[in-house]
Amino acid sequence: MRPYLALTRAMLRSALRYRITFLMGMFGMFFQLIALFAVWRVLLDEREIGGFGWAEMRPYLLIGFTCGMIVSSFTDWRMAYRIVEGTVSLDLVKPVDYQFARFAEIVGGIAAEVGVAVVLWAGVLVFTGPIALPPPELLALFALSMLLVVPLKFLFSYVAGLGCFWTHHYNGIRWTQQAVVAVLSGMMIPLALLPSWLATTAAWLPFAGVASTPGLIFIGRVDAAEAARLVAVQAFWIVVLWLGARLAFRGAVKQLTVHGG
Amino acid sequence: MALVEARGLTKVFRRPDKAPGLKGALRQLVVRRFTEKVAVDHVDLAIDAGEAVAYVGPNGAGKSTTVKLLSGILVPTAGEVRVGGVEPHRDRIANAHRIGVLFGQRTQLWWDLPVADSLDVLRDMYGIDRATYTRRLKRFDEVLELGEILPSLGRRLSLGQRMRADLAAALIHGPEVVYLDEPTIGLDIAVKDRVRGFLRSLRDEGTTIMLTSHDLRDIEDVCRRLVIIDGGRIIFDGALTALKDEFARERILHVETAADVPLAAVQASLAGATVTAGDSPRRFSVRFNRFAMTAGQVVAALAGHAELVDFHVDEPSIEDVVRRVYSGELMAR
Repeated sequence: MRPYLALTRAMLRSALRYRITFLMGMFGMFFQLIALFAVWRVLLDEREIGGFGWAEMRPYLLIGFTCGMIVSSFTDWRMAYRIVEGTVSLDLVKPVDYQFARFAEIVGGIAAEVGVAVVLWAGVLVFTGPIALPPPELLALFALSMLLVVPLKFLFSYVAGLGCFWTHHYNGIRWTQQAVVAVLSGMMIPLALLPSWLATTAAWLPFAGVASTPGLIFIGRVDAAEAARLVAVQAFWIVVLWLGARLAFRGAVKQLTVHGG
Repeated sequence: MALVEARGLTKVFRRPDKAPGLKGALRQLVVRRFTEKVAVDHVDLAIDAGEAVAYVGPNGAGKSTTVKLLSGILVPTAGEVRVGGVEPHRDRIANAHRIGVLFGQRTQLWWDLPVADSLDVLRDMYGIDRATYTRRLKRFDEVLELGEILPSLGRRLSLGQRMRADLAAALIHGPEVVYLDEPTIGLDIAVKDRVRGFLRSLRDEGTTIMLTSHDLRDIEDVCRRLVIIDGGRIIFDGALTALKDEFARERILHVETAADVPLAAVQASLAGATVTAGDSPRRFSVRFNRFAMTAGQVVAALAGHAELVDFHVDEPSIEDVVRRVYSGELMAR
C-alpha cells in the first residue's frame, strides 16, 4: 500500500496548492446549486411531481450535487493530459499498477473535495433549514452507497481517460461523459421523472449509481431491501468496470504513440 | 546471457492520413485512412551488464522509440525484448524496479511539489529504506549539487536544475539499467560537464547505461560502444574506437617553421602524406594516415628541413565520422 498512499498524499498536497482555484470553483458551484434549488422550488411549490415534493427534492438535489462534485477535480484532466501529451511514458515505468495508481491519486483529490462538500452542506442547512435523517438501516446503506460512488465515478473518468490513447484529445470525450452522466445519473432530475423507457434503461446502467442511488436511499423512496439491491448493483458495476478497464488498458497501451522524446 | 536483449524488435505506428485543407478534413471524417510508419525495423541488440552504450542517429531515426520499447513503455509490433529475463511491457512492475529512465524533454517531478517531496514520493513508490535513501541523496548532492534545489517547486526550476533533479529522480532507486534519452539537451556547458562526470562514475560502478544524444561529446565521454540507427535499422554496432580506426584514419599536423621551407621539398620527404600550404610560407599542414606513420615520424621528417616553432595535431572527430555515416558516405557494417 505504501506506494499508493504516497501518490494519494502527493495529489492532496498538489490540490492544496491550488487553494484559490479551488475556492473560486466552490463559489461557482454555490451559484449552480442556488439556480437548481430555485427552479425546483418553483416547480414544487405546494405540489408534487412524480411523487417528489420539495421536502424530498431538497436533500435529493443536495446529494446529487455532492456526488457531481466529488471525483471531478483535476485528477482526471491530469491523467488525460499526460496521455495526450506523452508524459504517460513516465507513469508506465513506475513500479505501480497503472489503474490502481490513478485511483490512489483520485482519492487524494477527494480529501480536498470532501472539505468543500462539508462547507456546502453547512451553508444549505443554515439557509434552507434542517434536513430529516432517514432511519438507521437506510442511513447505513446510504453511507455505503456514497462510499461506492467514489470508485464508480473514478471508473467513468478512468475509462474516458483511456479513450485518449485512441483519440489524442480529451475535450470531446469529457463533454460526452459529463452530459451522459448528468442525465442518466439522475443528478439534476430524478430518473423517475424521465420518459419511462429512458428511466428503466437508466436504472440498470452504471450511471444511476453515482447520484440516484444514494439520493433515493437518503430520502427513503426505497425500503431497506430495495436499497440493499441498489447498493449491490453499484458494487456489481464497480467490479465489471474495474475488470473491463483492465482489458481496455491492455489495448490502450498498444495504441500509445509518443512523438519526440 | 546479456542483460538487455532485443531480437527482431519492430514497432509500426499507424498515423491518420489527413489531406490538407477543409476538403481533406471532411474526407477524413468519412473515410479514415492510415499510413503505417515503421519506426523501428527488426532491431537486434544485446547489452551486457555494466556496458555503456551510446545510441545515436538523426532525428526521427527511431532512437526514442527503441528506448521506449526496451523500457516497456511501448508494446512491440513484432520481435521480443528481455531485460534480465523479464519482458518489460508484460511485467511492468518487476521491470520498473530494475530500470531508471530519463527523458530529457519531459520531467517526472511533481509540478506542484518541492523537489524533496517528489523524491520522497519516489522513495515510497520504490520502497527504499531510509538509510539507503539518505545515502543516495547525499551522493546526488555531492555530484549534482542537489541540496540547493530540494526546496524549490518542480515548476519553478530552471532547465539545468530540472535536469539535475530529474537525474536524481531516475536513479534514486539504484536501477541496474539506465536509459537516458538526451540527458544534456539545452544545458549549459558547466552543467553538461557535471552530468557527464556523474554518468561516468555511474558507469564505473557497474550500472548499465544506454544513452541517446545528439551531443557527441556526451557519447565520447561516457560510452565505449556505439550503436548507430537510421531509418529504424541499426547501421553500425561496435566499439567507438573501432569506428574511429576504420573511418577516421586521417590526422592533420599543423606546423610553423622558423625559416621558409619549399613545399615540394617537404612533400618529397613525406611519401604517402599530403602537404598543403598554410596562410604564410612558414606554415603548412600535413595530412597523413595514422596507421601508416606516427606524428613523431612526421615531426622528425619536418625537423630535417627547418627548426619547428610550433605544431599541433587535429584528431579525427567522432562527429565527423558519425556525420559521414548518416549521410551514407561511409557504409558501416
